[in-house]
Amino acid sequence: MTAVEEPRAAAFVRPDGKEKVTGAGRYTADLNLTGQLVAKFRYADHTHARILRIDTARARALPGVLAVVTHEDVPDVLYGGMVKDRRLFAKEKVRFEGDIVAGVAATTAEIAECAAALIEVDYEPLPAITDFEASMGEGSALVHDDWESYEADDALLRDGNRLGYSTIVKGDAAAAMASADVVVKSRFVTDPVQGVPIEPRAVIAQWQGDKVTVWTSTQVPYAARGGIAHTLQIPESNVRVIVPLLGGGFGAKCDFHFEGHVAALARAARRPVKLVFSRREEFFAVGHRREGMVIELETGARADGTLLARRGRLVLDKGAYCGEGGFFAQMAAMHALGPYKIETADIESSLNYSTNQPSSSIRAPTAPQVCWALEQHMDELAEALGMDPIDLRRHTLIEEGTVTATGQKLERIAMKETLEKAVELIGYGQELPEDEAIGVAVGWWPCFAASSGAYVKLNGDGSGTIITGAQENGTGAVMAMPKFVAEELGMQPEDFSILYQDTDAAPSDMGSCGSQTTFNSGRAVIAAAVDLREQLLDAASDKLEAARDDLELVGGAVRVKGSPEKTVTIADLAGSGTFHGKGSGEPPEGPPAEPAEGCVGRLGLESFHAPQLIAHAARVRVDRATGVVRVLQVAAAHDCGRILNRLGADGQVYGGVVMGIGQALSEGTQLDAEGRHRNAHLTDYKLVTASDAPQIDVAWIETDTPGAGPKGSKGVGEPPCVPTAGAIANAIAKVIGSRVRSLPMTPERVWDASP
Amino acid sequence: MKVATTLTVNEIAYPVELDPGTNLLAAVRDVIGLTGSKEGCDDSECGACMMLLDGKPVNSCSYLALQAEGSEITTVEGLATGEKLAPLQAAFLSEGGVQCGFCTPGMLISATALLDQNPSPSEDEVRIALSGNLCRCTGYDGIIKAVLSVANAV
Repeated sequence: MTAVEEPRAAAFVRPDGKEKVTGAGRYTADLNLTGQLVAKFRYADHTHARILRIDTARARALPGVLAVVTHEDVPDVLYGGMVKDRRLFAKEKVRFEGDIVAGVAATTAEIAECAAALIEVDYEPLPAITDFEASMGEGSALVHDDWESYEADDALLRDGNRLGYSTIVKGDAAAAMASADVVVKSRFVTDPVQGVPIEPRAVIAQWQGDKVTVWTSTQVPYAARGGIAHTLQIPESNVRVIVPLLGGGFGAKCDFHFEGHVAALARAARRPVKLVFSRREEFFAVGHRREGMVIELETGARADGTLLARRGRLVLDKGAYCGEGGFFAQMAAMHALGPYKIETADIESSLNYSTNQPSSSIRAPTAPQVCWALEQHMDELAEALGMDPIDLRRHTLIEEGTVTATGQKLERIAMKETLEKAVELIGYGQELPEDEAIGVAVGWWPCFAASSGAYVKLNGDGSGTIITGAQENGTGAVMAMPKFVAEELGMQPEDFSILYQDTDAAPSDMGSCGSQTTFNSGRAVIAAAVDLREQLLDAASDKLEAARDDLELVGGAVRVKGSPEKTVTIADLAGSGTFHGKGSGEPPEGPPAEPAEGCVGRLGLESFHAPQLIAHAARVRVDRATGVVRVLQVAAAHDCGRILNRLGADGQVYGGVVMGIGQALSEGTQLDAEGRHRNAHLTDYKLVTASDAPQIDVAWIETDTPGAGPKGSKGVGEPPCVPTAGAIANAIAKVIGSRVRSLPMTPERVWDASP
Repeated sequence: MKVATTLTVNEIAYPVELDPGTNLLAAVRDVIGLTGSKEGCDDSECGACMMLLDGKPVNSCSYLALQAEGSEITTVEGLATGEKLAPLQAAFLSEGGVQCGFCTPGMLISATALLDQNPSPSEDEVRIALSGNLCRCTGYDGIIKAVLSVANAV
């Protein structure tokens, strides 16, 4: 493995860049269709209530209103990625502040808003179930009375308000704990956090006969198509989802969200209908936020630091509905182990319903919170052992040949190397003013292998078009695809255009989630290019009357090796314009794991496929008088396999670290006693600004991890926000001499924790 | 009751009729049809709607369109010269200052205003000048580098 000091590949300018800097690019909200109406929703008036009556007569009578839609106007079906527990429009109950009771389509936004308010809804209010730790207890009222009847993945081990349960057991942790020289116990809690893409989401739906076209700001167009088809009970072939430019997502725009509502309104109104969220809706109404958690950890160690036992109890607030986030219990449990060698383990993780806003994937779901807790816990252990926290990590981090607590054997990973690099970059051990300190944290994150498919077609003039299901959310990962194809075909990246973000064009793809675009969509595109290359070689072999094995693709031509005069250009071969390659590639198999029998709630995350490894070091200054923390510098070292585009990869780290700083210090949704947002706007939910953001030093340790994606790459997008908050927390603790056990670590909490 | 007025955007005069309550962002996006400026919050918090009004940056979501009568309004669409990108636009691309691109129009406007007023800003001055523009993708790093690279080239 090598540390990358210099960019391996020349920086490249993203092909969608020009339209983005000139203002010519169109995002969903920039589009308008003739005859278009405006959609508004009537949200729940209580966070938990039985619906007794919905009367839409007054709304329907308002001039300018062309459609009002409730559960009565759509098929009576439930939807949801891992548990089908939700309806487009609430029927028996509302279960959180953003549950939608009805939708309105009207000629203006003002009329639509007025009509939504005119809908009469009678409720029987029920006690809010905001305490997600208590909600799994005996006798708690149920968020979903009919949970047993729901269609769901059996491995979730659902039980009442507990919709996901997972354990990791290895050996006899109790006995090992009893034999330890030092035992440390900690409890941490975290507030919910929002994705906050700067583009509020927008959806436009237009029907032509039985077919609907939906333009939407989604990260997952195929999931959106599937959701529309399922909730409206129409074939997927009658649904076309197009994503114009997407203004950020960070997971918050994953999953089927409001496309079904808008399509239902457009069908009822017989007009195109457009929905654009306000910033307030973007906070409270989306079924996607980072969940609040309770994290209890106990670790027993030998005097030399060897980790003998880890016990953990995690409780996660899933909120009202499951969506695609049912895997969080197991994912959180894996992060409670962290990238460490541990001899015995007993981790229990519960994912619970509440009547709070639903949580779901936000950039590396569950990892930043658990990592923040675990890395503070590890520093507490180091202190109890009288060891330097870096030395403790040097002694206990995973390395070549480590067998994890779930029985996965790790090969060719650079965990320790990232730690050493981060420590070196930050200048660990340097003399600092008494109000400054350096903290370090480490983390890990898996790659997600999934199926994908792509076509590459050659046009008659020898230029080409890549048709991929990949979705671009800002990372630029899709922009690398012409490079992959050009390499296979001996052509230039500029020879290719990309057709993407249109579900009618390309085979299904997971979307821009799980840091998987290069990993899976890239693999499919390369497979399609290889297919096309074989066809070109066949055709050139005929034309040049040469054996296929003697041919090579170079400089936009096929030529006979060693006889450059015997050549045919790809443009000549492509003259018919009918050459096209297709491919999917085989998703690499996940590494085997051998978890002990007591490990339950297994959803495939017990082994971490080609893990991405991260070490962050943060230097902070704390004003003890006010509790205000300023992050002065962050050093971020990552093993994300081979780096294909340094500019793009660095950009993911800068953005992820700054997001991590926000999570650490200022970003937290505050709920009232009934689970309503109290700070659903950017004035009181504070993002990190340009003047808050610190110097960030980035280093890549390139490995060739087994099971990696194309050209040795692993994911890049999610890991950068995993350990930042933990590193900052450890630095704060060094300055103030005690721990902040609630996230975000606001000035009040830092001040409160100060002795 | 609509009011007839003329708004001059990127040196083109547009006769328009507006409800008096129309904000400048809505007038430019929905009435004139220039959608480069974005609405991210409608609250002067995110800066995605930033326009220049006689050279000064304003959050157009919170500025009444009728007040802009007689002013020179510049949006992101007015920064390039024909097909030729302004130095800041080119630098945003080469320095990695653009990811999703939604904050980019407002960022470019704020950065343009800064360099017009202070052609050689320090890094801190750049960061402070852009602190009214939120970006969730880039961590601001590529944006700051882009502005400084243009400033240093002057």
